[in-house]
Amino acid sequence: MIELLGWVPLFPFLGFLILVFAGERLSKPIIPWVGAGSVGISALLTALIGAEFLRGTMEPYRMFSGYWMALDDMSVPFGFYLDALSMTMLFVVSGVGFLIHVYSAGFMESDPGYARFFAYMNLFVSAMLVLVLADNLVLLYLGWEGVGLGSYLLIGFWYEDPDNGHAARKAFVMTRIGDTSMALGLFLLFTHLHTFDIQFLMIRAGNEWTPGTWLPVVSAALLLGGALGKSAQLPLQTWLPDAMAGPTPVSALIHAATMVTAGVYLIARTHDLFLLAPSVQFAVGIIGAITLLIAGFSALAQTDIKRILAYSTISQIGYMFLALGVGAWSAAIFHLLTHAFFKALLFLAAGAVIFCFHHEHNIFKMGGLRKPMPLTFWSFMIGCAALSALPFTSGFYSKHEILLAAFEVSPVLWAAGCLGALITGIYSFRLVFVVFFGTQSQSVEKGIGWRMAAPLVLLGILALFGGLLQIPMDSVFPGSANTDTDHAFNLVSALTIAAPFAGLLIAVLFYLSGTFSAQRLANYGWARLVRQFFLSGCGFDAIYANLLVRPFVSIAKLNKNDVVDLLYLGIAWLSREFHRIARTSQTGRVRWYASSMALGAVFILAIGLLS
Amino acid sequence: MNGNQLIGLAPIITLSTASIAVMLGIAIKRNFVLTCSITAFGIIISLLAVAVACQESPIQATLLIRMDNYALFFMALLLLASLAVLGFCYDYFKNFEGDNEELLLLLLTALLGAFVLVSSSHFASFFLGLETLSISLFALISYPLNQTRPLEAAIKYLILSGVSSAFLLMGMALIYAQSGELYFKDIGNFIANQPGMNIMMLSGVILIVAGLGFKLSLAPFHLWTPDVYQGAPAPITAFIATVSKGAVFVVLLRYFVSSHNYVYTPLVTVFSVIAVLSILGGNLLALLQNNVKRLLAYSSIAHIGYLLAAFIAAASIAPSLAIESVTFYLLAYFITTIGAFGVVSLLSTPETEADDISSYRGLFWRRPWLAAVFTLMLLSLAGIPLTAGFIGKFYIFTSAADSRLWGLLFAIIIGSGLGLYYYLRIIVVMSMSGEATVIKSVNPDKDRISKATLAVLTILLVWFGIYPGFLINVIQSVSLSLG
Repeated sequence: MIELLGWVPLFPFLGFLILVFAGERLSKPIIPWVGAGSVGISALLTALIGAEFLRGTMEPYRMFSGYWMALDDMSVPFGFYLDALSMTMLFVVSGVGFLIHVYSAGFMESDPGYARFFAYMNLFVSAMLVLVLADNLVLLYLGWEGVGLGSYLLIGFWYEDPDNGHAARKAFVMTRIGDTSMALGLFLLFTHLHTFDIQFLMIRAGNEWTPGTWLPVVSAALLLGGALGKSAQLPLQTWLPDAMAGPTPVSALIHAATMVTAGVYLIARTHDLFLLAPSVQFAVGIIGAITLLIAGFSALAQTDIKRILAYSTISQIGYMFLALGVGAWSAAIFHLLTHAFFKALLFLAAGAVIFCFHHEHNIFKMGGLRKPMPLTFWSFMIGCAALSALPFTSGFYSKHEILLAAFEVSPVLWAAGCLGALITGIYSFRLVFVVFFGTQSQSVEKGIGWRMAAPLVLLGILALFGGLLQIPMDSVFPGSANTDTDHAFNLVSALTIAAPFAGLLIAVLFYLSGTFSAQRLANYGWARLVRQFFLSGCGFDAIYANLLVRPFVSIAKLNKNDVVDLLYLGIAWLSREFHRIARTSQTGRVRWYASSMALGAVFILAIGLLS
Repeated sequence: MNGNQLIGLAPIITLSTASIAVMLGIAIKRNFVLTCSITAFGIIISLLAVAVACQESPIQATLLIRMDNYALFFMALLLLASLAVLGFCYDYFKNFEGDNEELLLLLLTALLGAFVLVSSSHFASFFLGLETLSISLFALISYPLNQTRPLEAAIKYLILSGVSSAFLLMGMALIYAQSGELYFKDIGNFIANQPGMNIMMLSGVILIVAGLGFKLSLAPFHLWTPDVYQGAPAPITAFIATVSKGAVFVVLLRYFVSSHNYVYTPLVTVFSVIAVLSILGGNLLALLQNNVKRLLAYSSIAHIGYLLAAFIAAASIAPSLAIESVTFYLLAYFITTIGAFGVVSLLSTPETEADDISSYRGLFWRRPWLAAVFTLMLLSLAGIPLTAGFIGKFYIFTSAADSRLWGLLFAIIIGSGLGLYYYLRIIVVMSMSGEATVIKSVNPDKDRISKATLAVLTILLVWFGIYPGFLINVIQSVSLSLG
């Protein structure tokens, strides 16, 4: 079964090709069969391959299917590499991806761009699968750029609204900054280690480079730059909240479950390199901690249901970076897995709310939806419980592991994580209480069909019990066996567990029982300012606008008339003038032609005899 | 003359026989299709004769004719080019009122002249071949007698051709007066044995260059080109641009390689000036030209200028690479020029030539395949990769750079840049929407022979552009036989 690995990314790509070239001509009922079906086949293949892989020795499996390019001393094969890490990613991408495709079949049904939507989604899934399976950095980069393209196309899916196009461009440009850094890292690695193959790279780096010297530090930092862009971490995080302009299933699949975790995957995949650069690895942890706090605070102030979830995504990926930074590799991947489940669930449930509730995004215009939408309500409850890591949900296991590992490295990082957990509890349940409790302001427009309900149920189960699905990573990461140390009931552990409960309690007091009122708090001047600050995502957009965009625009304005072009325009003008002069010689008169020949002969005779 | 020499001369003999056969055929029964068939048959038989003559080459058949592989290669090329032109002529003239059969006879006699030129080793055969070719061309240009433009073009060409022949003969006379020789090799020996520079010899050679420069439409002897190209029927223009110019260039090359005229260094200066003038002048004149036939005429001036650059390179580096460059470029130029004029002729009739650029407006939407072929031909003329024209231009660049002809190289680069402008302009016009002002009323499903010819030319163009290896090997082996 495992030799069919190459087909896993191929099926969604075939689906993409069919939908692109025949999409407009396919009848509407067939489109989701192609779009979701192709990913379904991949998911099925993944399941079969996974069963075989997990039953076996979990030895890495390599697949080679020809060369992409082969030059003198550089060869880039179409090679796939399957180990426990890529297996986990494969499950996430094809499994969660498939559920979201099924959901989309219902969600997007009335959209005129039905086929286009599925084409983009399939392209994205295919690229993401290439990214996680690639055995060399160039193929990985192909997938990396492919998901960037898919993300761009899907954020701007409703392109009639210029704001959506703007959001898509913002996402593309911001991630491009990271991609450039990553490409430079690739070049640096290749020029010094002469291979693109990830495994060889890691081995050679370990053999040839001493830890902490500039080469591993610089190359790890450059790769980190790429990871920061794609995973929306500080300082490149500003694109993700705006990316919510896309259809909600897109947010679920790309901007929560899969693509934004690509940075985590990249660092985990090249963890040997980061081990050689301890300073960079520590920076990963610091960035993760700061990001998770900033994003958490920002989530507190949002009123748009999708933006809350977007900031929570940034925050949760911050946890993953924190885990990577403290060397808890498998905990990071574990959190990636559980996060994919509960965040996809939350987004899909949010999509259901939006779908049924007049396409409303503002949570304060909702309320009391518990009764008319029981399934969505319970999905939200489970999702938020897992998000805030209440015990016995999937998120609890992974986040707990991360925080304990963080404590062992640095209590400060642990404290930041715990504070983050508290905030997570607050904003998660604020969302639940505001949307589903209280009085219902408007009646629900329509219900959801089975295609939207089934993924919610399945993802709900996964979000609850996904914590049991951890794939052992011992074969991939060194010394990741720190989970078995028994710290069952010490103070640290207790505080870690208590943090989300404290958050829950605060949310109850503010938004359920009404003991305190956020409205009253906001009446104070300083509180309003703080709220405004958090609402704007801690003002990063304004900083970038003032620091980079405005100076650039003013420089561009100076060059409004294209000073450099004047040279070329001058050449063009000169050529035209010469043409006019030369043209006067073509009189059409034979006597002039004949005499010109005589003159010409004299001319060349003179040159010949005088030179 | 012995048997071997007869076999060596087989291509020329066969072609002469074919001309006579066509003449007799016309005398017996006037039928355009039949005459075309006889002509095509004659050309194919001549191709076989070329293959036969390969066995005996190189052979000196009298002092006049030297049959070596280089000559045979160009004979084959000229025959194939004529076959393509014949295809276009058939479709162009088949509906034309009047006696069209003699056209084919003239085509064969012109080809005969070209044959003699590419194999000549003596001033007598040189001049005879050139005049046979030219006289046939006068009649070919003015073939649609009831039209004014062809007549005007033919008269201009006739008069100016006479002037150029006068220069040529004067040059030959000066050389003969000094050396007493007409055979190229003996002239070479005379130059080699004479220390220092002989002014009379040099003047003679320069006058020959002036005469040939007219035929090759090199600046400053180029003024006739646009008028004649425009006036002549489109397939005949293709014939002038390729068969006539190609043969004359080969004879120039032959004369210079066998007569050691390169020792006269001022000649290099003369050629360089001519080349730069042709490249810049041709491209500048073509720049804003709205008549496609005139535009192609100006561009051909520039192309022969490029060729001349490689020819100059032969004087300073090992001539084999330069000869190789010239040969490849000529071949690419043949394919491309015949293809381009083929498209023009397919869109034209003797009464209404599709030569104004507005006739091509929206061609992509009306006849996408034809427009695609024309686009490829133009891109090849511009030297864009994946076409034979690119490889040819690459050769020219390599030879010029190897010989450190930086000034010439600079002119070539400027010229190529200018060229891109006007070639792309036609492509842009073709892709614009809107109706053309003049459209050939003939049913576009006809003209099968022209279309098949264009298809073959396009395939060759792309083939030689992507896999030039095979052709390069052939050219390398034939280039060795010259020199």
